Amino acid sequence: MVVNSLAFAAFFAVVCIGMFMPWMMQKVVRQNVWLLLSSYTFYAFADWRMLPLLLGATALTYFVGKQINRAVQTEKWAAASFWTTCGVVSGVALLLIFKYLNFFGESFAALFNALGLRCSWTTLHIVVPVGVSFFTFKLISYVIDLHRQRIEEADSFLQFSAYVAFFPTLMSGPIDRPGRFLPQLTQIHHLDYPKAVDGCRQILWGIFLKMCVADNLALLTDSAWTSPDSFPASRLVVAALLFPLQLYADFGGYSHMAIGVAKILNFDVAINFKAPFLARNIAEFWQRWHISLTSWLTDYVFMPLNIGMRGWGQVGLALAVIINMVLIGFWHGADWSFGVFGLYFGLLYIPLIVRGKFGKKKRINAGAHGLPRAEDFVHMLGTYCLVTIGFMLFKADDLSSFAHYWQALARPSLLSLPSLGLPVFTYVGVAMLMGCEWLCRDREHPLQFVHGPAMRSRAVRWAIYYVLILCIFLFQGETQQFIYFQF
Amino acid sequence: MTDIFQDILDVDDLEVTDSLKADDVDEWDSLSHIQLIVAIEKHWKIKFNAREIMTWQNVGQMVDTIVQRIG
Repeated sequence: MVVNSLAFAAFFAVVCIGMFMPWMMQKVVRQNVWLLLSSYTFYAFADWRMLPLLLGATALTYFVGKQINRAVQTEKWAAASFWTTCGVVSGVALLLIFKYLNFFGESFAALFNALGLRCSWTTLHIVVPVGVSFFTFKLISYVIDLHRQRIEEADSFLQFSAYVAFFPTLMSGPIDRPGRFLPQLTQIHHLDYPKAVDGCRQILWGIFLKMCVADNLALLTDSAWTSPDSFPASRLVVAALLFPLQLYADFGGYSHMAIGVAKILNFDVAINFKAPFLARNIAEFWQRWHISLTSWLTDYVFMPLNIGMRGWGQVGLALAVIINMVLIGFWHGADWSFGVFGLYFGLLYIPLIVRGKFGKKKRINAGAHGLPRAEDFVHMLGTYCLVTIGFMLFKADDLSSFAHYWQALARPSLLSLPSLGLPVFTYVGVAMLMGCEWLCRDREHPLQFVHGPAMRSRAVRWAIYYVLILCIFLFQGETQQFIYFQF
Repeated sequence: MTDIFQDILDVDDLEVTDSLKADDVDEWDSLSHIQLIVAIEKHWKIKFNAREIMTWQNVGQMVDTIVQRIG
């Protein structure tokens, strides 16, 4: 059930009616039961065979959490560490078995064969559970945060299950932390009209991004990557440059929809993007891109590594960053191209670390006429180009197709004038996206500009909504699966 | 303590209280957090362990650990 489908709209309408029925709003436990049933139904629509796995992993982590909490309360730190390790290992094992087993099997077999040792690996047909990369991270953060005494234990198995399976974010995030989300499940949720309206606006913007920008750009990028030799090299450059925008419109669009759906149910979930293409260096970019994942890895991987290696100065910092980025790469998929993707971005941090510019937050201020300052603009463009090269590794099926694409780029047709390759509206959509990103860079989503003084007129606001809805109906591309659903 | 915080976070008028948290200061991110720890360890000639660092939720808890360490 795709989020931008009529089936989901019907499902969500039923969820909302149930959630806000007076009888349901009398007790928090009733709402949590309803939410959990809705979430499991939603998951069953995606892949009912994996429902027992989700339930089993949730039950195991809940049990482990209880042991950690008991050990922490009685100050038995060795026992707390033991149970935390069990929780982390079980979460990681889930990922390794379902997502990486074939990859490691094939890689080790290739390594042994290269060393002259005969070895073979029979590729196992493993069905990857939908959303496994997202819900395992929720499970792992629960046990670590309990150990670090950052959170209270979940009140009940019901509450914990509702957190893990919360349907708006179950398939593709944002990855919510227990410290922020569990307390929300202790309160009765009433319909908050202004918040629900804001949620509807955010969903509208998300649908526009996904259907009008991402799905249209996919036509160009997919064809270019399927057979790079059939197109002039100049068009391949355009396709490569447009892919980061496609990925952003796709995943950012999904994230807006998920956050908007949660807002209608009166839940606050983590944000995932903050105008990433306004970043002026790679460190800034990763502070603005897939924030719920990068902040998760910062807290649970980068910080412990950096603390452990703090005596090594800049070398320790660079190593911690590189390991963190490689893990971000592999989180996306079981292929060496993702490992190289992470390594590439990790290495790009080194000049920033050496120059002491890593971590220095600088506000993006407008220059003359409300436009970006020239220096900032040059840095934004440079960062975008570096990101484009990295995201070519993301788009490539494997390292050989990445190399093949670069070979196809190195042809005389590189100097030819590129054709648009797409309807003009798609480029208008891209321009709208970038314009809104700049103008609304300090807001959660561009349609929040309706809170501004210039937009008090109801007629103007509704005109904007209708224009967007009309665009969606007139210019939507061929429906494509969300890119991040595969993770 | 205030001098160390102001110097590392580069905020001249920062008021360091027990309840101050990383979320309260824009400049206090994961990187400056490590720089703070290194500076504090150097100043008081102590060494924190990872579990202590990970459980701090505000300056007050950090100070408690320092007090325990220097006796």
